[in-house]
Amino acid sequence: MTAELVVLLVVVVTALAFDFTNGFHDTGNAMATSIATGALRPKVAVALSATLNLVGAFLSVEVAATVAKGVVNLGSVSGEALLLIVFAGLVGGILWNLATWLFGMPSSSSHALFGGLIGAAIASIGMNGVEWGGVMGKVILPALLAPVVAALVAAVGTKLIYRITHAVPDDTKSKGFRIGQVGTASLVSLAHGTNDAQKTMGVIFLALVAHGSISADAEMPFWVKLSCAVAIALGTYLGGWRIIRTLGKGLVEIAAPQGMAAESSSAAIILTSSHLGLPLSTTHVATGSILGTGLGRRGAEVRWGVAGRMAVAWLITLPSAGIVGAICWALAHLIGGLPGVLVVFALLVALSVFMYLRSRRQPVDPTNVNAEWEGGPTAGTTDAAAAGAELQADADATTRSNP
Amino acid sequence: MDLLTQTANSLWQVVLVGLLLGAGLPAIFALGLKSLSTGARTNPDGTSTATTAGKVGAAACFAVVLIAIIAGILMLMQNFLASSFGIHVF
Repeated sequence: MTAELVVLLVVVVTALAFDFTNGFHDTGNAMATSIATGALRPKVAVALSATLNLVGAFLSVEVAATVAKGVVNLGSVSGEALLLIVFAGLVGGILWNLATWLFGMPSSSSHALFGGLIGAAIASIGMNGVEWGGVMGKVILPALLAPVVAALVAAVGTKLIYRITHAVPDDTKSKGFRIGQVGTASLVSLAHGTNDAQKTMGVIFLALVAHGSISADAEMPFWVKLSCAVAIALGTYLGGWRIIRTLGKGLVEIAAPQGMAAESSSAAIILTSSHLGLPLSTTHVATGSILGTGLGRRGAEVRWGVAGRMAVAWLITLPSAGIVGAICWALAHLIGGLPGVLVVFALLVALSVFMYLRSRRQPVDPTNVNAEWEGGPTAGTTDAAAAGAELQADADATTRSNP
Repeated sequence: MDLLTQTANSLWQVVLVGLLLGAGLPAIFALGLKSLSTGARTNPDGTSTATTAGKVGAAACFAVVLIAIIAGILMLMQNFLASSFGIHVF
């Protein structure tokens, strides 16, 4: 086995690992509301979402060997140099996804990947490696717009629903809306599989071209499609319970009618925007929708402290993943060749294991995902200590309520 | 500037369609539920039976929502259908 082949293998494995984190990071976008309102049991919800992500991934048609097209300009590099940038970018994306998951923060996996790639591109090619207009138009502007649009639509939907059904008995109402909610949430899952799995397919395809295994105009190999579909589905099935909890219980206390309003809003906006080529992130849309259902229902509480912390997490996603991506590139470049890649990969594994072990101290799983949301800083504090203390408080509360 | 006008151009469409489908469809679904319960008779055992008119109205509302969801699925599949089977749905 040549050194180049080993590097390629490491890049492919890292890309699939990113796809996996992408899956569990985003389970909550579709299923948090159904889990919170009891429309679906937690395990059933993630199984349904995973299946739809798997199907969705096969529906995607990605043919071009591009990654983050219009955001980074990797045209000037090829071969191993290109592989190294993509690898460092992926590591940045994975580590940021794991860190935000540890704190139960929903953040965009696409932004994490873009950030990692931008950082690695700046470190290797310099400022020319980044298309700043594209960063503005494809990343920053949509991130500002998506939550606002989604919140507006969901708030209007919630208001309408409650006005129309105010005379309907509560049990009919929650039974009916639970069914409706599952339908719309399923649509969001399918859309997620279609849009997100192909990101990783594009990355692996690009890596294969850079290595010279296939030509740029070849068809997407079936094993790439299959492995990406399976990776995102497995990740979804694992369920990012910490994030599901924040979205379903932390941000707003959700009832079934609000759940349906939120998922309809998310589905409509995600489908329309991807049809029009406006790259809105599923995470930003779903979070905005859930927030909107809190605004649209009289007397519902929106926890602005949680919303504020999310907003900060979104703001720092791109630069943070970028810094990690740049450091990884520099490290791999300094050591050089296969050893450099292996050292960074070992670092990735070590940090991932560390964050996993850290999460076991206050586990969030299907049994306590819907436990009462207690405490939490009301101000938008984001420092790790405060967030960690809050998780600890949540975990304690959970232990008390579920002896 | 070009970027801003382009974004603004697709943005108002997203808002419009979002409101129409994202808020309108759950409202129609709500109308269906209302139709089921309006004038419904309460049975001695606590369950309720909807009127025939109520059932028809509800069925119509739920059908609209169902069709919209199927249209959404087809929209997701359009590229796949076009490239694999040559079927152009939209």
